Amino acid sequence: MSDVKLSAVLRTDFGKGAARRTRREGRVPAVLYGHGSDPLHVSLPTHETYLALVRHKNALFEIDVEGDVKLAIVRDVQVEPVRREIEHIDLLLVKKGEKVVVEVPVTIVGEPAPATMHVIEQLSVQVEAEATNLPDSIEVDITGLTAGTVVYGKDLVLTEGAALVTEGDTDIVIISEVRGPVESADSAEEPAEA
Amino acid sequence: MLIPRRLKHRKQHHPSRSGAAKGGTQIAFGEYGIQALEPAYVTNRQIESARIAMTRHIKRGGKVWINIYPDRPLTKKPAETRMGSGKGSPEWWIANVKPGRIVFELAGVDEELAREAMRRAMHKLPMKCRFVVREGGVN
Repeated sequence: MSDVKLSAVLRTDFGKGAARRTRREGRVPAVLYGHGSDPLHVSLPTHETYLALVRHKNALFEIDVEGDVKLAIVRDVQVEPVRREIEHIDLLLVKKGEKVVVEVPVTIVGEPAPATMHVIEQLSVQVEAEATNLPDSIEVDITGLTAGTVVYGKDLVLTEGAALVTEGDTDIVIISEVRGPVESADSAEEPAEA
Repeated sequence: MLIPRRLKHRKQHHPSRSGAAKGGTQIAFGEYGIQALEPAYVTNRQIESARIAMTRHIKRGGKVWINIYPDRPLTKKPAETRMGSGKGSPEWWIANVKPGRIVFELAGVDEELAREAMRRAMHKLPMKCRFVVREGGVN
């Protein structure tokens, strides 16, 4: 049921100095909250957490907080943009059978008709699903679609038990005609005035 | 070329070059992107040159997004002039780019073509950059 099992250590020191020490020790600071309980400040093993998040964006974590096992999903991840290291994770406590709303990325499968191109208008959609059965991505098959075709939210094929929260008439993918090279006619723009 | 239509002050101080990008660090529109790895002042001519390099290599199809805007004027005093006598005249329009910032985005082409088009565009930019791909997980 659970994708990832991690052992967490409770954090007692806070602030940027303590957080940096935690990261140097190979652990990533995290916070566990939800169900009206007080937030739990923990640290997780960096490498295992990174691998889990790379494989499944909506992984279900089974977190062992010093003997107390909790189920959680990732609510937010702070990533250092240049080094791409995980700096902090927000985890939301869930229960078995509980439905949660998560962002699920859209992936494209297949090639549209010749001389057409696709543009993804929504990179991710909001989906309500059981916490124990969250989709990693939603595949949109565009094989053979012709120019002018629009794939709407209501056209998406979801896994069993999942429901779309994003409005059904939202454009997800647009297939358009490929245009030839267009050189911008650099019109003599007037200089900015004070 | 990109240039502001109107502005509040004709001559500005040099913008800060320290720190990392606070936003615009993830691909928001396309499938591929160019990410800055160093701070730089990118002029409107460099942005245009990079865009042309990219679109000419793609030839047909594809959609390009420019995520930075050159809204800051930089001034320059004429050569062989004595110091003083006020600030020089506006010479360039620049975007203040910080490390981590996604500068260009591209969609509608395959990865190999996008990689080569963006490599050509990177040569027109004044800072180290890297090619990034949108992913489902941590990116």
